[in-house]
Amino acid sequence: MSGNPIRRLIGRREVSLALACLSAAGIFRGFSPYFLTATNLTTILQNSVELLLISLGISFILATAGIDIAVGGVLGISAIFIGWSVEAGWPLSTTVLLGPVAGTCLGMVSGFMIVVGKVPPIIATLGLFGVYRAAMFLLLGGSWISGLPNTLAPLVNSAIFGVPVVAVYVLAFYLVGWLILRWFPLGTAVLAVGGNERAAQLAGVAVGRSKFFVYGMTGFLVGFAALLYVARYRNVETSTGETVALDAIVAAVIGGSSVLGGQANLVGTMLGVVLVRLLQNGFVLAGVPSLWEQVITGSLLLLVLILDAAVKRSARLKPVSVL
Amino acid sequence: MIAPPKKMRLAGLVALWIIALAFFAVRSSGFLSMANFSSILQFSTLLALVTFGQTLVILSGGGGVDLSVGGIVSLSGLSIAFGLKEGLDPYIASLGGIAFGGLLGLVNGLLVTKFRLLPLIATLGTFYAYNGLSVALTVGAPIAGLPTFFGTLGQGSVAGIPLHTVFIVLPVILILEFVLWQMPVGRWIYGIGGNERACRLVGLPVDLIRLGIYVHSGVMAALAGLVADSWLLSARPNIGENLELLSLTAALLGGTSIFGGTGGLAGSLVAVLFFTSFQSGLQMLNVNAIWQLGLVGFFLIFSVLVDRFIRGGEST
Repeated sequence: MSGNPIRRLIGRREVSLALACLSAAGIFRGFSPYFLTATNLTTILQNSVELLLISLGISFILATAGIDIAVGGVLGISAIFIGWSVEAGWPLSTTVLLGPVAGTCLGMVSGFMIVVGKVPPIIATLGLFGVYRAAMFLLLGGSWISGLPNTLAPLVNSAIFGVPVVAVYVLAFYLVGWLILRWFPLGTAVLAVGGNERAAQLAGVAVGRSKFFVYGMTGFLVGFAALLYVARYRNVETSTGETVALDAIVAAVIGGSSVLGGQANLVGTMLGVVLVRLLQNGFVLAGVPSLWEQVITGSLLLLVLILDAAVKRSARLKPVSVL
Repeated sequence: MIAPPKKMRLAGLVALWIIALAFFAVRSSGFLSMANFSSILQFSTLLALVTFGQTLVILSGGGGVDLSVGGIVSLSGLSIAFGLKEGLDPYIASLGGIAFGGLLGLVNGLLVTKFRLLPLIATLGTFYAYNGLSVALTVGAPIAGLPTFFGTLGQGSVAGIPLHTVFIVLPVILILEFVLWQMPVGRWIYGIGGNERACRLVGLPVDLIRLGIYVHSGVMAALAGLVADSWLLSARPNIGENLELLSLTAALLGGTSIFGGTGGLAGSLVAVLFFTSFQSGLQMLNVNAIWQLGLVGFFLIFSVLVDRFIRGGEST
């Protein structure tokens, strides 16, 4: 380890990400004076809410060395159920429960395939993504759910003591996530499974239960995100959630989660989400057509991974000082 | 031990295929016609080529998977159409497009071997980059109106068998099978998939072989792009859509182990024919195309579960 405290500080994931956000903001300001206005920054944060929730789940999944490509499908199907419930005029409490319950059930399906069926996570969730996409199409019957009444609006528009309620959700969920990782045996189990599954099993960790937990929890968070999605946009399309899996994985990986498992950095994930949304917003304001969004997100993922690999290599090659 | 699981598996797949054929033949009168047979072959070429590339990637182990194949099909198809529009000689344009596909595969290979990224995450990145590029560069519109003489390869046929089946798919699989079974490189690919560490200790150029495998996957995808261009006489930016899911499923359904080291191209080819027959049958029964996506997802999981069941006794 280098002794220089400034270098060590910059080496922290959270700090380097915050610096990346700031410098990106500085660059985009040069392209569009609108970028750094309060209205636009609020928009960026508002657009981050659903992704923040989903990425929290993905961070836990990555920590177990798993992956979930199906979250977009889970988001879409949960959103359809919520949309129907709003259309049918069911009481708010039922609707609010419906999203997370549907999401949790679908998450458990992934968990079941992976734990009981022993199907590798990438295969299980890629397959389920195909199944869910087809299911969405069939449920929607080729048309959209649109023009829903405004009944869910209080879920996203209200404020508690002047703090927007969506910010409260995000902070509350992240706090719980952090507490689980830091203080509960379950969190340690999740990290242990990702670090070395076999060793964890031999040490008596309930490997299957930990995996079930992360996929179920992600389903819950995705279901909740679907609720916020419907509340905000008041429509559900067949393409709902198509690209959210990539965004979430990119955000978590940028935030310092390793696809190889064994580590999770929730603050990093939060900053990763903000950076992803900030870049997507900034490029549009800078006049890059939104069609380029996928190219930018994909390249960002590769860039961060390459930088990480380079940093790791240089750290390894550095002569180790014994004293 | 009754029969080697691998042979049983391939036989099972062939049986599944025959059952599907019989089912559709009973339900739809036109299914067993020569015309439908050619159309099944016609549709299978794209998937077959991409699946050959995918199979080798998975076979070589190390978590190998190429999610970017669809994007490479689209991008190289576009590059060939672009070359033709610029008035290049069709052979040069095609070779250029194939080289371009190889280059895109090289990017994947370098990410995996040089930067040591997990194939899954590296090709997920290039999946979005390549797909996004092909849509962004064309603003979603196809490059249409390629010269009609360019359509010979994609539209022509001998005795009901499409020309690209005879001149591309068959030679490619024969060459690949020869390389896999008769040449050292082919044996090394299986070796790397089976036990990478041992191969490194023996002194095999593991990284170089793996790099070559990703380039090969890119070249196969580009060939698919070429056939698509010639068939449709236009290059669509989304022609490769869902091919990553389909090729992965076909390779795994065909008996290649997701952990590498076992499997082969014959199974992949049967799986591709099974898919395409299925697709054509569903179309004849007027079943919505979106069902296919769902079924493919189901088959993907199903095939791995079957693998678990068959190999369950051996591995642990």
